[in-house]
Amino acid sequence: MDLHFSPEDEEFRARLHAWLEEHAGRLEDAAGVMKGAGAANIMDAIQMARDWQRTLWEAGYVGLSWPEKYGGQDASLTEQVIVTEELAAVSTPPLINTIGLTILGPTLIRHGTEQQRERFLPKILTAEELWCQGFSEPEAGSDLAALTTRAEIDGDDFVVNGQKVWTSLAPIADWCFLLVRSDPDAPKREGISYLLCDMKTPGLTVTPLRNAAGGIHFSEMFFRDVRIPRANLVGDLHGGWQIARTTLEHERSGLSSVLALEQNLARLRRTASNIALGDGRAIDDQAISRELAQLWIEVEGLRHLGYRTLSDQIAGRPPGATASVGKLFAAQLRQRITHLALKIEGPLAPVTKKSPHVVERGRWNAAYFDALGHSIGGGTSEIQRNTIAERVLGLPRSVQD
Amino acid sequence: MDFELSEEQVVLREAVRDFLARRWDAAHMRRALDDPPALIPAELWKEMGSLGWIGIATAEDVGGSGSDVLTASVLAEESGRGLLPATLSSVIAAATAIDRGGDALRTSVLPALCAGDHRVVCAIEEPGGTWGPDAVTLEASAGADGWVLSGTKILVPDTEGADLCLVAARTPAALGFVTVPTDAPGVTVTPMRRLDAQSIAEVTFDGVVVPATALVGGPERAEKTLRATYDIWTVLGAADLLGVAETALEMTTAYAKERTQFGRPIGSFQAVSHRLADLLVDVEISRSLLYAACLALDEDQADASALVSAAKAFASDTAVRATEAAVHLHGGIGFTWDLDVHLYLRRARAGAASLGDPDFHRDRVARALGRDRTDQDERR
Repeated sequence: MDLHFSPEDEEFRARLHAWLEEHAGRLEDAAGVMKGAGAANIMDAIQMARDWQRTLWEAGYVGLSWPEKYGGQDASLTEQVIVTEELAAVSTPPLINTIGLTILGPTLIRHGTEQQRERFLPKILTAEELWCQGFSEPEAGSDLAALTTRAEIDGDDFVVNGQKVWTSLAPIADWCFLLVRSDPDAPKREGISYLLCDMKTPGLTVTPLRNAAGGIHFSEMFFRDVRIPRANLVGDLHGGWQIARTTLEHERSGLSSVLALEQNLARLRRTASNIALGDGRAIDDQAISRELAQLWIEVEGLRHLGYRTLSDQIAGRPPGATASVGKLFAAQLRQRITHLALKIEGPLAPVTKKSPHVVERGRWNAAYFDALGHSIGGGTSEIQRNTIAERVLGLPRSVQD
Repeated sequence: MDFELSEEQVVLREAVRDFLARRWDAAHMRRALDDPPALIPAELWKEMGSLGWIGIATAEDVGGSGSDVLTASVLAEESGRGLLPATLSSVIAAATAIDRGGDALRTSVLPALCAGDHRVVCAIEEPGGTWGPDAVTLEASAGADGWVLSGTKILVPDTEGADLCLVAARTPAALGFVTVPTDAPGVTVTPMRRLDAQSIAEVTFDGVVVPATALVGGPERAEKTLRATYDIWTVLGAADLLGVAETALEMTTAYAKERTQFGRPIGSFQAVSHRLADLLVDVEISRSLLYAACLALDEDQADASALVSAAKAFASDTAVRATEAAVHLHGGIGFTWDLDVHLYLRRARAGAASLGDPDFHRDRVARALGRDRTDQDERR
């Protein structure tokens, strides 16, 4: 057992580190943009975020594990982990095309046609085309396979009618990958197809939704006789469910959440050091310092679980249901960090952003709301528990259908 | 980068599991509850010596297997799983103390100890309401013929058949282990009774005279040796609890697949399956922390103690949660004397409160994080 990176990997890390220092200015611009540029310059902001991803790609730090012929680096998994770690260490925001990079890209590499790979993969890497995901529907959330958005074949096209919801980035995305009901008579998991849709296609409209935190992160999408060429079918006709399953597993794996949690916790320790409590500071209170210690323990647990998952991947075992373990634990941990933060803020916890006396410009209330979404999006915590119960513990299915 | 057990370690785990399945019955522990303590029979102990397990983490030149703490944790975990008294853990820890700090003792004690012919115990805890080297008050004061030990140790494991005791004491030279023969004048051993029938005792020292050379590691290395030993013993305690937790989860999962109510296996009800899924998560996090802590000890990393505390705190909470769930989810049958489930609960409860409870270890982590913070402030 060892947790050391090879000398070649460490050299790679040093080069990346030097590159990031050199581009620190650009990084700050991009970070500022992602953290909330005003609506007035939103288009500029998006362009800057696209440019930042492209710059990073040109330097060889995007698409590490993708094949070289599609613009990737054919690099090792460990190099990919190093990039994730180093980017998180300098607090870079997620890349703007993360959905395309982490979900669609790996799916096309595995299930796409050669033509689809050549057409779409390079532009995912450069952020020339931003992607969104059209899976959930008003009546198909946790029970995703109950989706009813209908696709009928008409000549060389699918004609799509229906509604999608909770779509992140929809107003700015150029393309959408979506699941549709292509055979309404088949059992529900056997009549689903996986399509790629240009967001400019006539009949497709996007309505942004305001979330509980007050921001706009997701939207509704309405499809009215939207024509999608048959060439944009991924995998087999009616074979979309199996593909989506692998897609969801990609969404659930990864060490990146650990790094975000680690930074959250480090920030919370600074908050606790700055807030007065009785005669001292909050961090010196035994109950609070114990809770902070417990959260540190859990972040370390999640990090080392991630190393075990990575070791399995390097050894050629694919991320399966164990990814659910990490996702479930990470969502709970993220929420507990923000709960403790609000507890430490005490009487000032309800004070919001632009108020006098507000703690850290209201960061923790924002983080609190954000954390609540983590046990819902990408498969609720209950769905993760079902997955663990059925696929790891081998318990009988809890839902009959 | 490879953060899983090696092939050799997996083979060892299977060998130990198979050996214990054939040679040790959990029912011994149930019987011992009425007639404590539960002891490993001499011939079984000897056999484990010849398999190289007692000296697993002891150097080869004195009869050990020359392996590391991570490998020793495999033995501890299987002891927990098989409900074998945790004597391997306590003796493995004592052996590392002598190996690292023992000088002359290394060659005089370790070969027989590794072979299973000779037993050494560590006496650290005292009746002060807490745990560990920092709480040691027992004093070895300077006397005419050497040092004079007076005071009380409690919760001392496995005194039966032990001929040498490593007593954590504050000596004129340093805080550290002092070796005391168990038959020395002034030593009194009084059995205590533990919730899970494992052997513990009170050991009192009333004017026991030892030479200054009895300080393990000498003035320079005595404290480091004591602290390292406590960390190793603690991480083996975490491994034991992981074995307990994982077994409780497996037993309960198997029962939830079999037991039918309302015409369905109870494991198909989410109130049951989700509790088991949460426990699986806790077990996986415990295992990850255990590996991290063992690796940190084996590589002598600066944050090793914090990771040891992390592993012990999390494994303790997990083992208690898992075994309480096991009792509950087995229903009425889970509350019977004849089912093994309460034996695991007893071991979890006793183990969680031994070698530092979860709050003790969270405080240790908090202090380590505080030191980091001070270092950073100073650098700034």
